Amino acid sequence: MDENRVTLKADSITKSFGDFTAVDRLSFEAGAGRIFGFLGPNGAGKTTTIRMIVGITVPDEGRIELFGKRISPAVQDRIGYLPEERGLYKKMKVSDQLRYFAALKGVPAKEADKRIDFWLDQMNLSEWKDKKTTDLSKGMQQKVQFIATMLHDPDLLILDEPFSGLDPINVEFMKQVIAETKSQDKTIIFSTHMMDTAEKLCDDILLINKSRRVVSGSLREIKESYGKNVVSLRCTGGDEVLADESLAAKVIDHSDEREVFLAKGADPQNLLGKLVSSGAEITKFELIEPSLNDIFIEKVRG
Amino acid sequence: MQKFLAVLKREYKKVVFTWTFVITTFLMPLIASVFVLVPLLIFSIEGESTRIAIADLNGNVAPRLQENLAPEKIAEKARQAAKESLSDFSASQDEKMKRSAEQLGGTFTFVPYDPLGKSPEQVRSELSSRVANNELEAFLIIPKNINERDQEYLYFSRKSGDFVINSTLQDALNEAVRSQRLAEANISEDVLKDLSRKVNFSIKPLTETGEIKADDSGPWAAFIVAMLIYVVLAIYGQAIMSAIVEEKETRISEVLFSSARPFELMMGKLVGVGLAGLTQLAIWIATVAAFVAVGIASAAASGLEITLPTITVSMVIYFLVFFLLGYFIFATIYALIGSMVTNMQEGGQFALPPILLLLIGLYFCFAVIRDPNSEFAFWVSIAPFFAPIVMPVRILADTPPFWQIALAILLNGAAIVGLTWAASRVYRVGMLMYGKRATIPEVWKWIRQS
Repeated sequence: MDENRVTLKADSITKSFGDFTAVDRLSFEAGAGRIFGFLGPNGAGKTTTIRMIVGITVPDEGRIELFGKRISPAVQDRIGYLPEERGLYKKMKVSDQLRYFAALKGVPAKEADKRIDFWLDQMNLSEWKDKKTTDLSKGMQQKVQFIATMLHDPDLLILDEPFSGLDPINVEFMKQVIAETKSQDKTIIFSTHMMDTAEKLCDDILLINKSRRVVSGSLREIKESYGKNVVSLRCTGGDEVLADESLAAKVIDHSDEREVFLAKGADPQNLLGKLVSSGAEITKFELIEPSLNDIFIEKVRG
Repeated sequence: MQKFLAVLKREYKKVVFTWTFVITTFLMPLIASVFVLVPLLIFSIEGESTRIAIADLNGNVAPRLQENLAPEKIAEKARQAAKESLSDFSASQDEKMKRSAEQLGGTFTFVPYDPLGKSPEQVRSELSSRVANNELEAFLIIPKNINERDQEYLYFSRKSGDFVINSTLQDALNEAVRSQRLAEANISEDVLKDLSRKVNFSIKPLTETGEIKADDSGPWAAFIVAMLIYVVLAIYGQAIMSAIVEEKETRISEVLFSSARPFELMMGKLVGVGLAGLTQLAIWIATVAAFVAVGIASAAASGLEITLPTITVSMVIYFLVFFLLGYFIFATIYALIGSMVTNMQEGGQFALPPILLLLIGLYFCFAVIRDPNSEFAFWVSIAPFFAPIVMPVRILADTPPFWQIALAILLNGAAIVGLTWAASRVYRVGMLMYGKRATIPEVWKWIRQS
């Protein structure tokens, strides 16, 4: 990544709770105008890492730099953080609530009111402005919380599982907002364990498991490094060929096609030839890249 | 600082701009005054005059009794009793009941009856049948020989539960029998009156320099002040705790902690809610002052004199200082508890110790009001946790030397610094711990480590 574009830099950060090391010597960089996918199974250390980035906790070792500086109240004001555990004041009106969160991020009251109206309008929530949180549906609360994250126009946006609990229409809408934010040259950290979503959105990824880094880098490069070693196959017959372990390491059956993982050193042309000569009727034979999900499962299972 | 103010503003508004606040603020004085006024009103409803027949077997007591029960005489006694009850506020509940009965008195209508030549049994059955015919409500049988011991004075009544009537009659009868006995012993009524005069017992409070203090109504005010401080501290401590538990329960703390320093957040909350408490207290004090002024005016109109405690500017300042000390001590304790627990029910269990501390402080006040200069009063009025309630009471009852007040402020200020330090540490870690209540050893570790 271009050094000048790096906005977040973590250098060998470690965090332990008693005997348990939650994050172990983790290093990574995220850049402006890119979406950084922070991936890992539950309990891998994602939330602990994010808490260190936003300054809720301090790493035991290593250092984090944001916009070239150590964390400080001024730097914190440039971060928008949507935690996985959502929360709003139950008995506070939507507008008062948003005004409070804006004030905590140092947005002047007048400016905050303007932005609140803008975002409520964007999210189709204008008529709920004077309602209390308890009157809102879960999806609406989610959107209110997202507005709270965006009100101070953050340069670094950290979204922890932002789509959970949203209906497909709102997910699409949120993705648009994220894309717009990206085009404004902001940095977006997107933490999730939903691999297909990450695959479609992210430019860079960091995959962690059991407190440590497993894979990191640009999504494009990572996928290319794995080569095209999977065949998307639609055919009838040829089961005995696919059972040959010197050709196919693994076969996953989907509803109307199969994913065939080539064995090490196996030639896809060889597989195709054998399938044809076995008399199988082939309607699709395509060499594809492994999905992020495949990489994830392979790396995590280890 | 700007974020601290944002938190402060929200917390203040959250408490003050609610119906609960408006209702408690304006209803509490109303409820308190109802407690005082309703019994007075009820007692002042005059019962119907009791129709009574006096069967005087002796023959000399009845005229004296009728004289004692004359309305003017009862009214005179009531005034006397009212005066006494005002000068002694520590009277037991029982005595108070009796006094209020005396203040009221009952009225009687005498139905003539001549028991001459009839046996007590005959009298009883005759009068009982007259009660059955609704000619009478009650009758009293005075025995023949009033000088003999163990004589019973039987009072039969359909209204035997009316303690006002009963006590009025009993007092009047006692006096009548006593005068008759003395008369029989050849002591004249005038001599008797002169001799049975009450002594004039006058209490003169001394100051530490041995001078006579101008007024002695301090205990009254001190007691009200102690109650006020206790109530406000208990209410606002709980308010702090529930505010903190809400942020923890709803996970709002995660966002808050990424926006401002935990210390700023906690202090903003404490100061904001504290100002709300001060607002309420100010309204209550103003209301109490207004009530007292009205009460005194009406008492003066009915011929009673009440001395007001002299409240100086320095007393008001001390009161505010100690209220704030108490508030911050108990608010930090509640904040600490709030960040340990996971929900309000758990919080309620843990809230018992601070409530006990407050209650003990309140009880100490009674001892201090009785003897504000004892060694005990000195220690409890400077001790952390108790001083905020006890010291203002002591100042009102009998202002101690300045160095003692300063010592109390110093000790409690130090306690606040220590508690805030500990609470902010627990708050910082505890607020991000979900799902599980922190144990005491864990909390202790957070305090020492972080």
